[in-house]
Amino acid sequence: MNGFFWNCGHLGWGIFALAVFTGLWWLLSDLVWRLSSVRIGRLAVAMLIGWLVGVGLILLRFYLGNR
Amino acid sequence: MTILILQIVILSLVAAAVVLWALYFPYPSPLIRRWLPPRKRWPETQIRTWLKQGGFQRTFLRHFYSDPERIAPPGTSMLAPADGLVTSTDVRGEVRYLVIALSFWDMHVQRSPVSGTVLKVESHGDGFMDGEGREFAFLREKSCPVQKRLMIAADCGQVAVRLITSVAARRIETWVQDGEAVARGQRIGRILLGSTVVLELPATTKLLVRTGDRVWAGETAVAEGLTAR
Repeated sequence: MNGFFWNCGHLGWGIFALAVFTGLWWLLSDLVWRLSSVRIGRLAVAMLIGWLVGVGLILLRFYLGNR
Repeated sequence: MTILILQIVILSLVAAAVVLWALYFPYPSPLIRRWLPPRKRWPETQIRTWLKQGGFQRTFLRHFYSDPERIAPPGTSMLAPADGLVTSTDVRGEVRYLVIALSFWDMHVQRSPVSGTVLKVESHGDGFMDGEGREFAFLREKSCPVQKRLMIAADCGQVAVRLITSVAARRIETWVQDGEAVARGQRIGRILLGSTVVLELPATTKLLVRTGDRVWAGETAVAEGLTAR
């Protein structure tokens, strides 16, 4: 994907958004795990699905923006 | 160039947050601590580690030493002398022992259950025992846990409050003296770290709480109908 990793002298917005989203999602998962009494397996699946949806949206936005 | 610097700064901040998370795991990172309730903010295993090491997190100590104002409900009912969980309301002889167990996260200032005069502040015990398996150990003649017993005479009878230490709690402060007048809900002392408070009442009093109930010092009415023994 052109411009996904590097674009005009700075990091591509695609990889930048992915990195920031993944880091923040990880921390949010930890907070949810501590605040809820849900089973760890169920929570892990829910957070993984959330992460996949987020990544999908970032990729979709990048794809549509570069069409 | 500006955009690249901005991106690096943002990525560094996120990376620092993740590193902080990893350093503190399994305990909560300082970044999310403020959003957690006390019991999850400072898990018991972490507090026990601090006890062994002799050092505590400053924010935990601030929470532990907190002494919020309490508003006593109107009436003449007897108030809970401590925050905590009622673990026993047994009657032995002519005395009913209302046992309140305090946790690490409870407020540790004790309050007078009734208005009256402090008859006596006694010191007992020579040992430190864990909360579990020491049921009514505070009544033993020898090797009972270190404790203070405050006898309070009200107009219509007499009660006593025992402030009992545990393995963790090694100090008791009493803030009233023999002969001093105390008001209902007034601060009478403090036990440092998790421990037990026992309210001794005449067996004839009517209890308003049951085992398993949560009570708040100076706010929860626990019994009524105090009469002279």
